[in-house]
Amino acid sequence: MLERRRYLVVFLVILLSLVLAASGCGTAKPAATNQGGSSTAAAKVVNIGYSGPLSGGAALYGQDTLNGLKMGVEEINHGGGITVAGQKYTLNLIALDDQYLPNMTATNARRLRTENKAPVIFTPHSGGVFAMQQFNQEEGFLIGAYTSEPKILETGNKLTYRIPPPYDGYPEPFSKAVMEKYGKRVALVPGTHQYAKDWTKVFVPVWEKLGGTVTGDFAVDYNKETDFYTYVSKALATKPDVLFVGGASKPTAMVVKQARELGFKGGFILMDQAKLEQMAQTVPMDQLNGAVGVRPVIQFDNPGAKKFVEAYKKFKNGEDPAWEQAWHYTAIKVVAKGMEKAGTVEDAAKIFEGMKQIFPLNANDWVAEIKGISAKGGMLGEAHGIMVIDGKYGPDMPITLKD
Amino acid sequence: MDLFAQQLVNGLTLGSIYCLVALGLTLIYGIMEVPNFAHGHLYMVGAYVTFFAMTLYGLNYWLSALLAGVVLAVLGVLMERIVFHPLRHAPASNKFIAAVGAMMFLEALARVLWGSDFRSIPVIYDKVFTIGTLRITEQRLIVIIAAIFLMIALNLFLKKTIIGSSIEAMAQNRDGASLVGINVNNVAMLTFAIASILAAGAAALAGPIFLVFPSMGALIIMKAFVIIVIGGMGSIPGAVLGGYVLGITEAMGASYISTDYKDVVAFLVLILILTIKPTGIFAKGVR
Repeated sequence: MLERRRYLVVFLVILLSLVLAASGCGTAKPAATNQGGSSTAAAKVVNIGYSGPLSGGAALYGQDTLNGLKMGVEEINHGGGITVAGQKYTLNLIALDDQYLPNMTATNARRLRTENKAPVIFTPHSGGVFAMQQFNQEEGFLIGAYTSEPKILETGNKLTYRIPPPYDGYPEPFSKAVMEKYGKRVALVPGTHQYAKDWTKVFVPVWEKLGGTVTGDFAVDYNKETDFYTYVSKALATKPDVLFVGGASKPTAMVVKQARELGFKGGFILMDQAKLEQMAQTVPMDQLNGAVGVRPVIQFDNPGAKKFVEAYKKFKNGEDPAWEQAWHYTAIKVVAKGMEKAGTVEDAAKIFEGMKQIFPLNANDWVAEIKGISAKGGMLGEAHGIMVIDGKYGPDMPITLKD
Repeated sequence: MDLFAQQLVNGLTLGSIYCLVALGLTLIYGIMEVPNFAHGHLYMVGAYVTFFAMTLYGLNYWLSALLAGVVLAVLGVLMERIVFHPLRHAPASNKFIAAVGAMMFLEALARVLWGSDFRSIPVIYDKVFTIGTLRITEQRLIVIIAAIFLMIALNLFLKKTIIGSSIEAMAQNRDGASLVGINVNNVAMLTFAIASILAAGAAALAGPIFLVFPSMGALIIMKAFVIIVIGGMGSIPGAVLGGYVLGITEAMGASYISTDYKDVVAFLVLILILTIKPTGIFAKGVR
């Protein structure tokens, strides 16, 4: 009797895990934007994969990155698609949700590769990139890596295409700018996610090398904590001249705002994840005085950037784009050109080689001047910082990139 | 010393919000004997209602808060009718699952309707008061005072009115209450309405300080559970005391032990209290 009951329990557990597994797959709905097919009957379709956070705390970020790709794909398809070795192709973007979880990125990537034969799979987070790097060379797909984490190119992976500039160029010019104006004491109040930890690790030695001191580390979970007062109060008790902050834009803005409420008068160094223009929607510009961060794409006046911003506003009903959209839009076009150059839509290594040959790209037609793709696989775009001075954006701060 | 006073005020602000949410949770637990996991998500909806009332319809802050209270009261009653009422004779585990289901539904609905972005309720009371080195914004002062006001109002309602007493009676003994002629259905709906109004109040008060986003309820519900366990499941003074204890412990733990261990400290207090008094500080209905 007892024996039979035990079997029943085991059976139920298995059944339950099957149900859970099934529902887990069900959450990752393909949000395909199929524009190929009927209208251009002769054109074939090439699938482009995307796996990013489309639900959960980072969903907004995921949507922003995806929108850049969507806009690029739409534009390419409206222009008649791409011509590869005499054959017309249209692009079909297949987006899967990974909730920011690297293991789900890996699952999604396998699915995008085996089911959809996607030669390129984009992901906007370093964890996902590392997960895909475990098998992308064997399975033969290129990772479109939207992360400024420098470490992703140190793994020696031959099929990783890093899209944005790496963050290790920012700490020095940012530090110099605030140090000169506010002083040498910095308190760290970054997020607790891996990306923030890595950024902090790169930042601290630079700050100390420049003669600054760190008064303490008060890292706080930007997505889980509701109130930052406790942390900020403690950080301010160490009498810093500068606060090092960074996470998603809105929570970062709250940290800045609460620091001002608590009487902080110094400057801020923002990790590149936080976008000044998005923060300015929550805090008044004069509270952002002395904040140094990445220069917003809407601030640039080269024709390429202006054209992109205009087009994006039309695409998304007047919404301003950030670098997430700009770089993804650029990246998908680079991939498309690479396919044309390489004469294949299947061989990822050849496509990547083809992509490397289309450079340099000038700032009249593209959002920024892009010199090329480095030997390790990093795109050599421009990076610029900016400081808020007297409630307005200050002068441009060009960043020398290390890659 | 400066830091101590500042953190005490910070802890009080946090504690006030915790109290209001935990009070609703404990009230519902008192009459249903099941933790309503969706309670934190009612708080989230309350924050969104306040946000939209202010930004879309340009309503005054206090009117928006009032509107949030009304909308949430209706939502609370609906939840009781649709989710919990049909399960009143079902085993506790069914209600448990239903509560989790309601929670997921509300969060997914919020994501579909309002998107996943962080939003911020416009701050009207942003003056900063400085007492020595202690700094507090007007809004935070309002949170502390309004929370106390709401708690006193709740207490008066429960102790001094007949309807209020019927809630207490039912919490003490469901069968006894129906024997003396209390309408169990009405009381259940009323309790949900009141608990939801408290959640709306907490959301409207906290909204301008915190950010509004679909998963904000999941954060506060964890804390509220800790509080009602500390205070004693179903106990009203327990929820109030537990709320302040948790808020202040978090703030003090972060400043004097380590910011990394803020939550560890809070849960350590939970373990300590449960070791000394396993039923919570104000035990009620021990079986």
